[in-house]
Amino acid sequence: MSVSNEELVPRRSGDYIRVIAPRLHFLTGKSLQRLHDGAIVPFDFQLGIAAGVKSNVVERAFERFTVSYDVWEEKFSVVRPRDFRKSASNLSANAAESWCLENLLARASTLGGRELWARLEIRSAEPKEPSSFLYADPGISITTLIGIFSRPPKPAQDHWAFESAAFRLADLKP
Amino acid sequence: MKLVLLPMLAAAVLFAQSTEPAVGLPDQIPAPELNINSRYTVESISFVGQHHYRLSTAARDEMHRLIGAKLSTEALNRLARRIRGELRAAEVTFKLTRGGEANHVKVLLDVDNRKRNFDLSIPTFSYNSRQGWTGLAEAATTIGGNTFTAGAVSDGDTLAERYTGFKLRYDRLSLGTDRIRLAFEFDSYHELYDRATLVALGTGQSSSLGAGAYRSRTNFEPSATFILAKPLTLTLGMSFEELAPQVSAARSESANTVVNTLRYHRSWESSDANNQELDAGYNLRAATTLLGSDLTYTRHLVNVRYKYRHQQQSVEVTLTAGMIYGNAPLFERFILGDSTTLRGWNKYDLDPLGGNRVVHSSVTYGYHIMRVFYDAGSVWDQGKSPEARHSTGIGISSGLGLFQKGAFLLAVAFPIRQGRADPVFIAGMNY
Repeated sequence: MSVSNEELVPRRSGDYIRVIAPRLHFLTGKSLQRLHDGAIVPFDFQLGIAAGVKSNVVERAFERFTVSYDVWEEKFSVVRPRDFRKSASNLSANAAESWCLENLLARASTLGGRELWARLEIRSAEPKEPSSFLYADPGISITTLIGIFSRPPKPAQDHWAFESAAFRLADLKP
Repeated sequence: MKLVLLPMLAAAVLFAQSTEPAVGLPDQIPAPELNINSRYTVESISFVGQHHYRLSTAARDEMHRLIGAKLSTEALNRLARRIRGELRAAEVTFKLTRGGEANHVKVLLDVDNRKRNFDLSIPTFSYNSRQGWTGLAEAATTIGGNTFTAGAVSDGDTLAERYTGFKLRYDRLSLGTDRIRLAFEFDSYHELYDRATLVALGTGQSSSLGAGAYRSRTNFEPSATFILAKPLTLTLGMSFEELAPQVSAARSESANTVVNTLRYHRSWESSDANNQELDAGYNLRAATTLLGSDLTYTRHLVNVRYKYRHQQQSVEVTLTAGMIYGNAPLFERFILGDSTTLRGWNKYDLDPLGGNRVVHSSVTYGYHIMRVFYDAGSVWDQGKSPEARHSTGIGISSGLGLFQKGAFLLAVAFPIRQGRADPVFIAGMNY
C-alpha cells in the first residue's frame, strides 16, 4: 500500500526529524479486529531519510510499538517494548497512530543543506506461531528490525509505505 | 542484491551513529504485560459456540488456575498451545470480551480444525510383557467435509489372534446436516495364532466356534452415524468380512453382519475441579444369510465407563457384558486377560479360543499420577460354568503432551490366585 507524497510531512524536533501523516491509519482491517478481540498487535516502523537523490538513504530509524485495546474502556494503549519507558494509554485510534509517529525520530545533525526525502514504512508484526495471536517480543532489537525490513512483507502482514515531497532541513517547521 | 546490501548499510549507519540504544530488557527485569487488559481479572474461559472438547485433566486444571487471576497473555498462550496439541487443531486463538462484573473479562477460545488437512497420529500403542506389543499408526487428510484415513496396525492384544495389516477409511463429516455422518472402511489383515490357540483348535475345545483358523481376513464396512441428541449417537452399518482359509484349496468363508451401535457420552464439570464422565454403549452384530453370510450368529456387547475426579483424586469404574448366540468366528469371540481387562492374567491361559459369554468389571483409583486397579471377570462358553477371576495392579498414568488423547500408563499387574504370582508389565499409550 502506498499514498501520494503530500501525505507524509516532515517536522523538525530539535536534533531529530519526525513525520506526521494526517491520512495515515494503520489501526484498520485484520489488525483492528485482533485488537478488538483483546489481542496485542505489534507494529514495526522504519523511517528513512534520503539526501541528494531518493535512493541515497543516509539516516534510518527503526521502532516497534505494541498496541492493545482496552475491552472495557474501548480505548487504545501503546507501548514501546524495547525499554517500556515510553507508553501511552486511553487513546483514540487516531491518537494512538499519531503517538507512534511522534516517538519515531531520525537524526538530523548530519543531513546538512541537501535536498531530502523522507520515507515511512509500517508493518504489522508477523505472529511467531499460528497458535499465539497474543504474541510479544519485549526484547526486540534494532538489528532484528533491520532484518525484518530487509525482507519483503509476507502476504499475511498488513503494510503501508509513504514518501514525502522533497524538502530541506532549514525549511522544516517544528 | 539490493536486499542484501540494505541491512548491511543500515547496520553500518546505526553502529556509526548509535542514535538510540538497541537493547531489550535486561535479563533481571521481568517484562511487564504489553496488553492493557492484563489489569482485568479472568471471569471465565470457554469455547466459542459453547463447544465442548475432551481435554486432559492437566489442561482443565490450567484453565481453572487462570480463572480468577489477572489476565496473562503468556499464560493464555501456553494454554492455547496445550489445547492445540491435545486436539491436534490447526490453530487455537482466543478473544476477550467484557465480563459480567466490572474489571472482569471473559476468555473465548476458538479452535480451528479446518485449516489442518493432514495429520499423523498413533491412536494406540501398548506393550504387554507376555503378549508383546500392539500399535496402530494413522495418517489422515481432510478435504472440505471429507476425511481420508490410512492406518497400519499390528494387534496382539484385543483378540485371540494377532492381526497385522492396514485399514483405509473415508468419512463424510456431514450429510446435509451435522447430525448425519457417513463412513466406509476397508481392512485387510494377516493372522497369527498362539500355539495354545492352535492346539485348542486342533482338539475342538469349543463347539460354538463358527470357523477354524483363517490365514487372513478382509472387511468392507459402510456405516452411517446419526446424532440423535447431543450425547446420544446411533451408528447403523454393515460389515462384509471374508476369511481366507489356512489351506489354499479350501473355500473362504464370509461373516456378513448388520452392525448397530448406540452410544451415550456425557461429562459434567464444575469450577472447583470436580468432574464426572459417563460413557455407555451397546453394540449389536448380527450375521445373517440375508447378507450372504456363511456364518450366522448374533453378538451383543454392552459397556459402561464412569469416572469421577475430585482435584487430584479419581475413581473410574468400568463394566462390560457380552454374549454371542450362534457360531461366530474367532475375531468376534470375547477374551479377557489383555492390557485393559483382567490385567495380569494371560488370555491364552484363561481361554485360548475366547468365549461366547463375558462379564468384566474394573475399578481404578488414582491419586496424582499413581493408579491402583482391581479387575474381576469371567469368560466362558454357553453351557459351561463361569469361573470368576481377579487381578490387581499398580502403576502411573499421565499425559504426554501432543500425544495425549487419553494418557500413558506404566503398570505392574498380578493375577490373584493360589500359588506363585507372575507379575505382568504393561505399558500403553492412548488406550
